Amino acid sequence: MEFKHTQLSNGLTVIAEANPAAATIAAGFFVRTGSRDETGDISGVTHFLEHMAFKGTDRRSVFDVNREFDEMGAHYNASTSEENTIFYASTLPEFQTRLLDLLCDILRPALRQEDFDVEKNIILDEIAMSEDQPKFQVYHKLMSAYFGAHPLGNPILGTQESIRALRREQMQEYFERRYSPLNVTVVGVGKLDWNAFVDKVERMCSHWRPSPAVRQTPRADPSRGEKIIADPKLARQQIGLMSPAPSCQDPRRYAAQLLATIVGDSTGSRLFYALVDPAIADEADMAYFPMDGEGAFVTFLSADADRAGEALRITRAELRKFLDGGFRDAELLAAKNKIASGATVKGELPMGRLAAVGFDWVYRHEYVPLAEQIDTLFAVTGDQVMDVARACDLTAPAVLALGPRETL
Amino acid sequence: MEQFHIKELSNGLTLLGLRMDHVSSAAMTLVVPAGASRDPEGSEGAAAVACEWLFRGAGGRDTRQFNDALDCLGCQHSETVNGEHLHFSTVQIGRNLGEVLRIYADVLRRPALQEATFGPCKGLTLQDLASLDDEPAHKCNVMLREKFYPHPLGRCVYGQAESLRAMGPGAVRGHLRRCFGPWEAILAVAGNIDWSAVCDLAEGLLGDWSADPSPRPGTRGPPGGVTHVRKESAQAHIALAHRSVPVHDERYYAALVVETVLSGGMGGRLYTEVREKRGLAYHVATRYHSLRDHAGLFTYAGTRPDQAQQTFDVTVHELRRLGEGVAEDELARARTQLKSAIVMQGESTLSRSSSLASDWYHLRRLRSLKELSDAIDKVAADDVMDYLRAFPAEDFTVLIIGPQPLDVGAIAEQ
Repeated sequence: MEFKHTQLSNGLTVIAEANPAAATIAAGFFVRTGSRDETGDISGVTHFLEHMAFKGTDRRSVFDVNREFDEMGAHYNASTSEENTIFYASTLPEFQTRLLDLLCDILRPALRQEDFDVEKNIILDEIAMSEDQPKFQVYHKLMSAYFGAHPLGNPILGTQESIRALRREQMQEYFERRYSPLNVTVVGVGKLDWNAFVDKVERMCSHWRPSPAVRQTPRADPSRGEKIIADPKLARQQIGLMSPAPSCQDPRRYAAQLLATIVGDSTGSRLFYALVDPAIADEADMAYFPMDGEGAFVTFLSADADRAGEALRITRAELRKFLDGGFRDAELLAAKNKIASGATVKGELPMGRLAAVGFDWVYRHEYVPLAEQIDTLFAVTGDQVMDVARACDLTAPAVLALGPRETL
Repeated sequence: MEQFHIKELSNGLTLLGLRMDHVSSAAMTLVVPAGASRDPEGSEGAAAVACEWLFRGAGGRDTRQFNDALDCLGCQHSETVNGEHLHFSTVQIGRNLGEVLRIYADVLRRPALQEATFGPCKGLTLQDLASLDDEPAHKCNVMLREKFYPHPLGRCVYGQAESLRAMGPGAVRGHLRRCFGPWEAILAVAGNIDWSAVCDLAEGLLGDWSADPSPRPGTRGPPGGVTHVRKESAQAHIALAHRSVPVHDERYYAALVVETVLSGGMGGRLYTEVREKRGLAYHVATRYHSLRDHAGLFTYAGTRPDQAQQTFDVTVHELRRLGEGVAEDELARARTQLKSAIVMQGESTLSRSSSLASDWYHLRRLRSLKELSDAIDKVAADDVMDYLRAFPAEDFTVLIIGPQPLDVGAIAEQ
């Protein structure tokens, strides 16, 4: 593995983790923009714009873009979160230059009115699809309830109303502001030719005009309230709990990840034994979500409606027990082994390594080899995990329930 | 060139191995032919409950000790049930494979199956079944398989609420006694492995595991037809299936090409016509699926109810239009896509161990990545046409979940 890094004269950053032993190459464009960078009048524009990147450029129609990805046999997609829009693909090393030609090009989409109109309908359909997915609904309603007016509470997809009202010109203006080369990191992983990689990116992207793409990072004032949304059409009760956690930039993030694994991994964790093993809930997972300047522990429960209240009470009791009583050394070691093993297996694929390498740079301007990250993980002490538990006050989470019940 | 290892034990269990360079992980796939199609009538869901119950302690360890042992080895594992098999997979650092194998030998031969843990295992399966009502896209595809495959091969693995409620531990123990044995079971390992060590260990642990072979279930049907399930969902969920060839058929690779031309990437015909040109559906795709002797192409589209009729009509039209033939450039693209996917699968230990087990089940031999790639290269336009003439897009089984039924006249036209 060899790390490479350069910056073009317009500010665009290019990094790579070259691995000559890999069979494939993965490349990604990480744009530091998400729903948190939107205002209410353009709610959903980031995600809609991600779709529009695939709808063609000055040189390519939508059909050209799709056909060319397929001609390389690429696996490709894009995703939009609260904080990032990423475009990524993996393919055979022989297609490196062609893949970059296409990815660089779609990062400067034509945003044609007729494509905008067709795609608007697809976005509306995607919103409808999410309405038939209760787990998705709980996540977004919980984010909104927890963050309130803070921009991290903005819905990624927007709403039916905001998307219907959105105009092409508003998207164009957002694009000019947010897709500045200063706000984009190009990442390569796997069997790549670094010199050719940089050369191609430079030829394709050096004309991109820089503009300051500032992100507002007000401190969140999280809600600790409990909200129940009754929907008689649903069969089961979904519950989400959310409490503060270390941010992406916080060195305590390793301890936070261990905490979430001990408390709420999908097997062998505190919540597993308290809820899933006895079948009080069929899902009870805690995850650690590090974000830009913020962080959250998020727990999801799925249970029969008549046992949902019990599941919530047990979860609260388990969080209290963890905070008051701590944990055994064996639990900490098991959590370390699980996380390290997961990262190792994922890291064997260029596509699996891409997000880790990209986000390390986007959030912390650093490259850390996987082996070093695993060493850092294993060096975390039990006291450090408990410090996070105390500092974050796990026992007073915001709660959001969605399902047939009006009370729990 | 990949070097495969195969050892068939006298009790019917087959051991398969592939050493991969440049990886530190080793993956294990274990399949036992005790899937949901072998659930006794009246005890539907027994295999799914068994799949939970087998992991509630084994070899003298209780549930907690059992989980702790796997966790300490950094073993990531999953247990699933499908129509034909109980399917267990694990991935861990290569040096821990032996210890993981010892624990799984306990699951196979010495599961605790205690009365006290039975209730919760049944409870979790009941919850899985109930969850389908809140996930119409998933439910639509589950119900389509039930209607498309001969009964009981496509059965919903979670059974029925009545069969589960009535089920006692005896029914699940009976299911395991009947078909949870070495006969036609497969253990495949791939990655950072020492074959002779794994093989000796597996033979020592499992060589004297014995059970009588159980007959395959008799089949009837399939039910087929057009089914509409009324639900006030935000989308209409449309799923349809038509016949294809199973993996062991020589036309299998032509079927993969057809699947890829329809929806291998965003340039596929369905995506182009339904999504890009008409803006009808966020998600539309065709997937090939094969049991041992039956296979189908399964197409799904989710769309807003006011666009459902047009989505259905355009989708069926595209499936039909394929019968007119495939252009040379489409064929070339499909070949590249399929071959590139083969290279990508070749980087993943879990994907390789799973393919070894699947190859052995369907073909009783193992295919190298090169063989797969060469076979794809050989598929000519004529092969695709021959396949499409033998398996035209007709006799659809249709499943729709949504507020209104659809006019399915499109599938009746010839």
